[in-house]
Amino acid sequence: MPSATLRPETQYATLAQQGEVAQLGMWVFLATETLFFGALIFTYYLYRLSYPEAIAEAAKDAVLWCGSVNIGLLLTSSLTMVLAINAAAQGRRSAATGWLLMTIGLGLCFLGVKGYEYVADYSDHVVPAVNFALKPGESPVSELFWVYYFVATGLHAIHVTTGLGLLIYILWRLRRGRISAAYYAPIEVVGLYWSFVDTVWIFLYPTIYLAGRT
Amino acid sequence: MNIEAKEASSFPFVCAWLLLLILVGLSVLSAFQGLALWAAVIEFGIAAFQALIVFLLFMRLKGPPSLKWVFAGTGFFWLIFLYGLSMTDYATRTGWPTK
Repeated sequence: MPSATLRPETQYATLAQQGEVAQLGMWVFLATETLFFGALIFTYYLYRLSYPEAIAEAAKDAVLWCGSVNIGLLLTSSLTMVLAINAAAQGRRSAATGWLLMTIGLGLCFLGVKGYEYVADYSDHVVPAVNFALKPGESPVSELFWVYYFVATGLHAIHVTTGLGLLIYILWRLRRGRISAAYYAPIEVVGLYWSFVDTVWIFLYPTIYLAGRT
Repeated sequence: MNIEAKEASSFPFVCAWLLLLILVGLSVLSAFQGLALWAAVIEFGIAAFQALIVFLLFMRLKGPPSLKWVFAGTGFFWLIFLYGLSMTDYATRTGWPTK
């Protein structure tokens, strides 16, 4: 559909109003996500306060370089995402397509590194209920850390995968001319979600990869 | 929709991205300084600052419509209750934290 024929849905007076409501709707969803991941991260800090030595000892086995590369990938993808939004808002469709493709590529790289890390974790016998084996000097509490690790990173990976699906949908809309300088709320809303997922990793990173490194 | 996006230049976003990467470096550095639990406090503080940058710039929380501050703030408002009431319980337990 050419952008010139874009009309607001019947319940909205203008496209701008429709865009604002879409943004606010995403913020409501993100508020629920804040509580969801906030409770999860709070659980970690309770573990850490309750068993500081045991959690620090267990966390030493987390693959630091994987987590560090992944935080770099996600922070960079937030930059490319916002550049895609700016390009779409300015009507530069091919630039927006390019930045979106880069964001998708970075998201796929994140999942690739995460997959590699899971394989390394399996080889290291740290997967609870599957092949967990205590190492010499470790407390049984260390299994608690790995439960947190797989729940937190697994839920985050599901969010990244959902984000990638949304980005591919936005790319399709952009190519069809259904996002333009006159109405770019869909890409803006997906950008909010993507940057939020990035923010979650910002908080997960120190809890998993930096504990017990001294 | 956000008027700012129509006029935005890439420069502030690239600067913010560089700052975020530098903060990751600082966070890693603090983890190797032998600060025990204080390292966790510093790392959480750095993460909170990074999140603020992402929220204000990349998620354009500082732009219109200002009503989104209310929506965005709601999650954190309830999080304060969740953390506060839970810690009230744990902090008043006898023998907690255990070693």
